Amino acid sequence: MCNEFLRQPGLMRCLLAVMWLSAGVAHADDRLQLHGYLSQTAVHTSDNNFGGKSSSGVAWDIRELGANLSYRPDADWLISGQALARWAGEMDDGEPRIDYAFVERSVLNAEDSRLKLMVGKIKNPYGLYNATRDVSHTRPGVLMPQAVYLDRMRNFFLAAPGASIRGEHEADRYSVNWQLSGMRMEADDPELKYLFAPLPFNTAESLGTFKGSGSWLGQVMVDVDGGKWKAGLSFGEVAMKYQSSGLPFPLDHADGKVRLVPVTLSLQQNGERLSLTAEYTRARMVNELYNDTTTVEGWYAQATWRFSPHWEGWLRHESLYFNKDDKRGSRYLLLGLEPVLGNSQAWVMGVRYDPTPQWSISAEAHRVSGAAMLSPQDNLGPIGSRFTRDWDMFLLQATYRF
Amino acid sequence: MPLLLVFSRACSRCLVRCLARYFSRRTALRFSRGFLPHLTALMLGMLISSVTWAVEVIAHPGSVGTETLSVANARAIFGMRQVKWPNGNLIRVFVLPDTHPAHVATCKEKLNVYPYQLRQSWDRLVFSGMAQAPVEVASEAEMVARVSTTPGAIGYVNRIQNNEKIRVINVQ
Repeated sequence: MCNEFLRQPGLMRCLLAVMWLSAGVAHADDRLQLHGYLSQTAVHTSDNNFGGKSSSGVAWDIRELGANLSYRPDADWLISGQALARWAGEMDDGEPRIDYAFVERSVLNAEDSRLKLMVGKIKNPYGLYNATRDVSHTRPGVLMPQAVYLDRMRNFFLAAPGASIRGEHEADRYSVNWQLSGMRMEADDPELKYLFAPLPFNTAESLGTFKGSGSWLGQVMVDVDGGKWKAGLSFGEVAMKYQSSGLPFPLDHADGKVRLVPVTLSLQQNGERLSLTAEYTRARMVNELYNDTTTVEGWYAQATWRFSPHWEGWLRHESLYFNKDDKRGSRYLLLGLEPVLGNSQAWVMGVRYDPTPQWSISAEAHRVSGAAMLSPQDNLGPIGSRFTRDWDMFLLQATYRF
Repeated sequence: MPLLLVFSRACSRCLVRCLARYFSRRTALRFSRGFLPHLTALMLGMLISSVTWAVEVIAHPGSVGTETLSVANARAIFGMRQVKWPNGNLIRVFVLPDTHPAHVATCKEKLNVYPYQLRQSWDRLVFSGMAQAPVEVASEAEMVARVSTTPGAIGYVNRIQNNEKIRVINVQ
């Protein structure tokens, strides 16, 4: 198992690059910093596959590896970049890529207010967790709450080349952070075709390609009393274009645009032991491939209890409907696909143990109804037999960071 | 401390006497034998944990150009969002490990945050490239040594010995 894991060329390239970089940074001062993370997850499901062939045993195909370098030559400039490799069943194969790489310039740096400009490939701030969703120890559990941070859309939503302006303001009782980004989304992910361009009675991916279009995202986050209360609003418009292979419908779609106009509300209360978090997202989806407009709706509520400095546990409920006006998924039925693809509700319970500041071990159990979070790439077979509506999932994750 | 012990014992006895009205004498005796030491320990623990540490925020003397910081400002500096002193110099933040008593006390008393919040905020900034992490030192002696020799440095210690090489920053 271990040998097979290490033999993967992508992983070896990444490990070598990290070792080479850490050797260099060890001699530099603290203005040049290197940080990284590595996590390995084991998944078992009662039915349906998630992150590999999880229903017929234990799947080991969820793995994340990343390293970042940052350099601050003086108080007004920051140069940052991160490379990552991610494995996620059939959805991601571990190909190393640039996660972000940008230059930040402070244009205002007063005692209580700051204004920063960023140019390059920038993480999209969205909700409380999107910007660091790959870094397992920053997540609110083993997996991100799928109702708001759907992993099937992760590659599209995570980071994009563009420019961003960020403002920070501090007052005695509260602080306000806001960010506005313009970018061209990266949409060359086959999973997007299963999500936005499925073809009638067809379990294969559509033959055309998605390309990212000009998009923008904004976020305002308010912290009261040093973050004891956090409230946030994230919004924007993201778009991609479908380029047809030229074959007529129903073999392929015609050219068209898919636009998402999401709004997410975030609220969090942080006590010494207990944190309560709720996020609600609603996105209008204008899909020219089907010539229709629908509304995606998702929310989750989570309680996290830190019962000792090394242990925490959490309980979460989440709910996602791809079309809030068609909760039974009858449109999928009209397409000849499983209606269960249209929604997902889950109870999630988990525990995390941090034996040292570098290591975390987490376990999580999911009781799920629906298949919206499942990739058809992991669940092959004839239509009607690919998904089971009610299923359970168990995950175990080990993380190392530095 | 002996006074505290006497006080906590008296409280425990009083509580046990009240409970004894509802239990038989034998049950109460058994209860007090097992429960009294635990209750005393719990109350002592609460008293000790409520004792505040006299932590001080310290900085490099010649390069920071200020002697006072607001709580919001200190939080922005230790939260790695504010990186520039009013005189334009780069701020270099030094911290102790998350569970170190001086770190916990600085978070709660000076910055009005819990240590886990600071850690979460560093992680989110560092792994999205928006900021750099503070430099972690192993002990208060190392903290004083690094802060006193690094231009623009800020940190904190529990006890300040007469040391002209560091400046105490008043957080108000």
